[in-house]
Amino acid sequence: MPQQGFNPKARWDRHIPEQNNSPQEQGLDEKIQVLAWFRSGKITPCEFIWNNKEYRIKQVTYSWQERLGRDIISYFSIDTGNDLYQISFNNTAFTWRLDKIL
Amino acid sequence: MILHIDMDAFFASIEQAINPRLKGKPLIVGSRPDKMHTVVCAASYQAKALGICSGMNSREAFSICPQLQFVTADQSKYIWTSEQIHDMLKIYGFRLNYASIDEFRMDILNHPQPTALAEDIRQRIHSRFNITASVGIAGNCLLAKLASKLNKPNGIAIMDDSNLEPILARAPVDKLCGIGKSTNILLRSLGLETCLDLYLKSPQFMQRHLGKAGLNLYAGLHSSESFQEEPLEDNQPKSIGHSYTFPRASKNPGFIKAWIRLLSEMVAARLRQKSLESSCVALWLNSPEKGNFSAQKTFSRATNDGYEIYLKTLKIMAKMSLQTPKIRALGVSCQSLSKAEYPPLLIEEKRREDLIQALDRINERFGEHTVFPAVISLSRKMQ
Repeated sequence: MPQQGFNPKARWDRHIPEQNNSPQEQGLDEKIQVLAWFRSGKITPCEFIWNNKEYRIKQVTYSWQERLGRDIISYFSIDTGNDLYQISFNNTAFTWRLDKIL
Repeated sequence: MILHIDMDAFFASIEQAINPRLKGKPLIVGSRPDKMHTVVCAASYQAKALGICSGMNSREAFSICPQLQFVTADQSKYIWTSEQIHDMLKIYGFRLNYASIDEFRMDILNHPQPTALAEDIRQRIHSRFNITASVGIAGNCLLAKLASKLNKPNGIAIMDDSNLEPILARAPVDKLCGIGKSTNILLRSLGLETCLDLYLKSPQFMQRHLGKAGLNLYAGLHSSESFQEEPLEDNQPKSIGHSYTFPRASKNPGFIKAWIRLLSEMVAARLRQKSLESSCVALWLNSPEKGNFSAQKTFSRATNDGYEIYLKTLKIMAKMSLQTPKIRALGVSCQSLSKAEYPPLLIEEKRREDLIQALDRINERFGEHTVFPAVISLSRKMQ
């Protein structure tokens, strides 16, 4: 059966009503400082500073990207050994943010 | 030969890759953050083993398994991963297309080692994303898709002349793509219980009992040609529509109109993609107080402009005499579709068409809804 026009870029979900985050996914959206490798076209965060405390990143468990207008945002889920965080890098503004604790 | 790659519990697997503490646990991905008032988009295999499945409401899922883990869906991760897998598969050099966000089809022609190829693909996906895929290999798309379900999760199945009929004899007829509930009931009333029963029927039988859909099904089962990348001429849809259910009922007119505008723009975009126009617009609404109600109207001029479709739906709504009930769900659809063949005559119409085409090119390049009418931003303000 031929499939009709699947478009992976369809993002109508951006218009769904705003809701509060569930307790498990505490939204933070705070600016942070990050030490990262930029090599071979890849970004690998190594550690970050949040609220004057240093966090060493043990593992980047996943990474993905999203385009928001002209900005490309690179997301990383990172494991510090104690907690899991999601951080993001805005390739246009060149800023890092701590999105949420997972 | 077609290779059909089907990701295993795609959304749930990605969430488990992101958060390894969720691995091995029953997990659901919900469409909305409120875990008790949402629908299951995806369930991990551990959750599926307990009887939890996509489409179930979350309250029911939690009643089956109170220890269920819950994550809110985040389309950006799934779409990005899907695109990366698609790009990875292009490297093999075969004709490739999407079957859905988590399924891919590859025409591997007469590749001498299809099973080894399938295994290589699965290993690459797992190595890069830490998620698994199941692969089906068969002579055509429909059978390859059926084969991909046979050894799920994390398996490969090949259907060829040596095992085709025994495999089809074990597969219930509703396992075939395109056989829904009502078709399943009809086929079973005709004594057709398995895919083999269907496979052995003549095209005349299929047409007599299922019409054109039956002929398409026969062709799908028996085809030995590579898949069509372009839609067939006679596959023009009869209607195009979109609908949405709100998290809770609303009677805020600005919010409701924003959603009607968004749905109109989505319908119009699909009409333009297929070079179609519509002269008949339909609007349906669902209210907790009044249930479902709908109306449609045929206009003298066909259109594929989202704003014009929106204005037509407002005219339909004005005649509905709603007396502002709360609205829980709504849908916009366009019928009486025809080919968009005639260019606009008036200067203002030509300018508007040029604007719409420019916006389509931007959204094609950067993703749907990169540029959209400002009023649609009210769709996020639930009141």
